[in-house]
Formats: sequence, C-alpha cells, structure tokens
Amino acid sequence: MPEKASDSETTARPVVSGLSRRARIMRRLTFIVPVTILSLMIIMAIFADLAWLGLPDVGLAPYDPVKMSLPDRLMPPFWDEEGSTEHLLGTDKMGRDILSRLIFGARISLSVSLLVILITSFVGTVLGILGGYLGGRTEAFLMRITDISLAFPPILVAMLLAVSMGPSFVTVVLAISLLGWAAYARLIRGETLRLRQMDFVAQARIIGASPLRIMLRHIFPNVINPLIIIMTLQIGLLIITEASLSFLGVGIPPPAPSWGNMINDGRNLVDTAWWISTFPGIAIALVVMSGNFFGDWLRDKLDPRLRQL
Amino acid sequence: MVRFIIIRLLQTVVALIGIAMLIFVLVRVSGDPALMLASATHTAEDIQQIRVNLGLDKSIPEQFWIFVTDVVQGDLGESLFKKKPVTEMIGAALPNSLRLIVPSWAVAMLGALLLGVLGATRRDGFLDNGVKFIAILGQALPGFWVAIVAVFIFSVTWQLLPTSGLGGIDHYVLPVCTLGFFVLPGMMRLVRSSMLDVLDSEYIKLARIKGLSERRIIWKHALRNAVIAPLTVAGMLFAMLITGAVIIETVFSWPGIGFIIVEGVLARDFPLVQAIVIMVASFVLGINLLVDISYAWIDPQIRYQRT
Repeated sequence: MPEKASDSETTARPVVSGLSRRARIMRRLTFIVPVTILSLMIIMAIFADLAWLGLPDVGLAPYDPVKMSLPDRLMPPFWDEEGSTEHLLGTDKMGRDILSRLIFGARISLSVSLLVILITSFVGTVLGILGGYLGGRTEAFLMRITDISLAFPPILVAMLLAVSMGPSFVTVVLAISLLGWAAYARLIRGETLRLRQMDFVAQARIIGASPLRIMLRHIFPNVINPLIIIMTLQIGLLIITEASLSFLGVGIPPPAPSWGNMINDGRNLVDTAWWISTFPGIAIALVVMSGNFFGDWLRDKLDPRLRQL
Repeated sequence: MVRFIIIRLLQTVVALIGIAMLIFVLVRVSGDPALMLASATHTAEDIQQIRVNLGLDKSIPEQFWIFVTDVVQGDLGESLFKKKPVTEMIGAALPNSLRLIVPSWAVAMLGALLLGVLGATRRDGFLDNGVKFIAILGQALPGFWVAIVAVFIFSVTWQLLPTSGLGGIDHYVLPVCTLGFFVLPGMMRLVRSSMLDVLDSEYIKLARIKGLSERRIIWKHALRNAVIAPLTVAGMLFAMLITGAVIIETVFSWPGIGFIIVEGVLARDFPLVQAIVIMVASFVLGINLLVDISYAWIDPQIRYQRT
C-alpha cells in the first residue's frame, strides 16, 4: 500500500470553526451554486439531443441548432413585445433558435474542454513526475520546455494549425493541448520534488522498489489532489480559450454552434439585436465562474497549501 | 555570471531551433501545403508550379535547411495574399501593436498594484471584497465580449468614443482599457496575495515597532517586495498581452500584428502566419532569457545551480 504523505494529511483540514455564520453560509453557497450550474450545463450538453441513442428528434433543444428560417430572423426573446414563446431567447440573423444553439454550444464547449483536460493532465503529470523524480538533465530540459510553453500564446499555435489543417474540432483540441500540458507539468514537478524528500519514498527505495514503481505507486497517489484541483481550475480557462478561437474564426467552424462563434455572429448587431451576443456571453461567464469557484472550494478542501494556484 | 549567461544563450539558440522545427512540422502537418492553396480551378500543372515556387518539390531535410537559413537571414518569405514581403507587413503593423500593448500594460500594472495593495491592507473590508469581485468578473468574462459590450455602451449608445480604427487619443481609450482589463485581474490577485505574505513578515513588524508611519511601511517597504511576484510571471504576462492584443485588435479593427494574423489565417496565408509566430517565439525566448539573467543577477544562488 502506498503511504500517504503525512504533511498533506494535517494541513488538508481547513479551519472552519473560526468562521462566522455568514462566512460559513457563503462557503456553502460557493459550493452549491457552481456545482448546480456545472451540472445543468453537463445535462444540457448530454441531452441536447439523443442522437447518440438513435433518437435525433428527442432532446432538450427545441430546434435544430443549424436549421435556418429566414422569416423568423432576428426575433427578440419572449419577454420583449415582439418576441414569442416559440423562440424563448430569440433568433439570430439567419433565423436560428438561440436557445437551441446555446444548448448545443454547451456540448461543443464542454467536450473540447474535457478532451483537452484529459490529454494535457495525462501528459503534464507524466512529464512532471519524471522531471521531478529523475532530476538532473532530464529535469532541466523538461523545465526549459515548460517555461517556454507557458509563455507561448496558445492562440498563435491554434492559428498556425488552423492555417495548415483548416479550422475544426480536432484542430482546436490539438492546438490548446499542445501547450496546455505545461501548467500541469510545472505543478506536478513541484509536488514531486517535495514528496521525493519524504521518508516513505526513501523507505521504498531502501526496500528496493524500482524508480518506476516509486513514481507510480508512491508519488502518483500523492499528487492526485493537486491534479484534481488544477483540472477543475482549468475548465474556465479552456472555455474562454475555445470561445476566443471560435470568435476569431480559427476555432469551431460555423455553422456548428459554439458560444464563441455565436458572439461573433452578433458582433455587428449589438445595437439592434443585443440578444445574439449577450446570451452566449452570459453562458461563458457562468461556466467559467462556476469552474473557478468550484476549483477554489476543492482547493480549500483538499489542499489549502496550493493557495497560489 | 558570464559562464551562466553563455550557457543560457546557447540554450536559447537550441530552443529557437527546436521551435523552428516545430513550426515547420505544424505548417506541413496537413501533408501538402500546395493542395490547400489550390482551388478547384487549378490544374495539376498549376499545383506543381505552386510546389516549385514554395520549394515543396525538394526533400524534407532540404526544405528544412532552406527554411532555417532563410529565417536566420531575416527572409521570412512573401505573403501569398498581399504579395509583399512579410517582414515589410510586420514592420508596418508592429508599431501599432506596441502603441496598444505598452499603454495597456502600464494601465494594468498600475491598476493591479494599486488595487492589490488596497485590497491586501484592508483585508475582507468593503474595498477588498470589491477588488475580489472585479478579479472574479475579469477572469470569467471573455475579453472579446467585454470589448463588444464596451463598444455598445460607450460608442453606440452614448456616442462618446469611436468604435474602431486608429486616430487621436480618443481612439485609444476603449482598446487600451479593455486590453488592460484583460490582464489586470490575474496580476491583481498576485499582488494581493504576495502583499499579504509580505505584510506578515518579520521586517514589517520591525518597521511597525520602529514607529514608521503605516503609509511608509506599505508603499515603500512592503510594496518593494510584493512587486517581485508579478515580475516572476513576466513570461505569462507577455503571452496574455499577445493573446489579448489579437482579440482586441480584431474587435477594434486596429491594424496591428493581431489584426493581420487573423486576416492571414482567414486567407490561409501561411508564410505570414508562420513569420508572426516565429517572431513572437523569438520574443518569448528573449524574455525568458532576460528574466533568467536578471534572477541570477539578483540571487547569486541561481548562478551556481546546475544550468
């Protein structure tokens, strides 16, 4: 059995008793509200339609998100005098239903984020543990690449890939992942450096455990908490990056609905049809804030040492 | 110190070659750049002609060698779309970008220092909560959305400021403020937390015991140490400013680097995009080098670590 790092055991319990009643309620709220919002978004993403069950006509989205209907173009939301309950959040300049696009947009934005998180956390963790545990030239080399990757604007890599491969879902995921692992690698390396000094690692080494075994069975279980925290905190960043790429026309290609390209659609119509850009903007802000709050909450719960994250 | 600088310089050159290779691979990852330039009207001979023009008929190592020697000589090729040398286009756009980025950086840094310090010294007070709220909002709202809403409010509804383009000082207000707001929250959080750490330290207690005025303690003694934290993320700050500039320039039709790269991407003008990425990559490496050297200069321990 891998031994737990005693250090994180003792510090992992946040001091709650000292908080006032109001502060405790706030702490509760910063957990409940974000988790509710994120869950709703995930439900929206999964059940936008049930095409994956072979039922393309059943789903949460009232309309086909790419179906154009020019007579219905630029309809305001239902509470406006000219709006109707047929299109609750109105329509865009091609008569597509905003609500449906928003719901399908959740599917695209969240699946991009999820894929990127899986890829980058895996690569970053492997490289971080390797660098931190092996040290020497391997570490110096890996850290150099990490520094450069952290300082490189991902948007430019995305543009390079968009030029050579053309904008697509795969391009977006690849482009963000290509640099995104660095944030994980840096954190995990720091944690590994700390863990390497601990007695249980030395003991494992004395028993004769191979470096691979130590990294997998002793170091890795102890970096899971920081890993989960940073994965959650990355959600917001990824949603914004994907939206920015789509907004610039190098992300998810139209007509597929992504929150970023929906904002772009309404960009020149803000004075006449504010609802086109506003709703996706609100959706992005909600998800990003939820991700950040949930990440902060997790961090306080699991590992308050990592305050600077 | 000289040895340290030489080693770091060599590492930077190696990294630059690595990045050049990566860019070379990424541009050719789709297989054949000639095909993606060709439209339906092109015949097989036309495509072959494009290949010869771009040097794509040569072997891969040969192509890479030509690519690297050209880059070293400062020849970054010709724009496919505008038929001008890309260095000329970048030269024209770069000053515009700097005119946007430098004031935004200054606004963001000043704002971050001021708000960060005020937040830290009035911890959990009204102001601190306000500062935290701005930080949360600033990190959650996409920069381009903020810019669009700002244009709607200040230019369309109130008609106070121009919507886009270059011009007098009034043309700067919205782009500079929105780009500044893009960078400010992260910096502010950093200043706030490092200020809290510093205020907790022994030498500040000593300064208090000595009876220095609180203003002097905060703005002179504590701030000096708290500004180091934002400096350590200079590289990331640069990445954020570039990302922000690409977005803000697009929203405000500001003819800088970000604007021409987006145009270049939409026109699939790969020599142009490639050249800008190489330029930014060199900047990134240069900044990393400077940061490392200044660290080594400040902290002698780093000089003697394995390099």
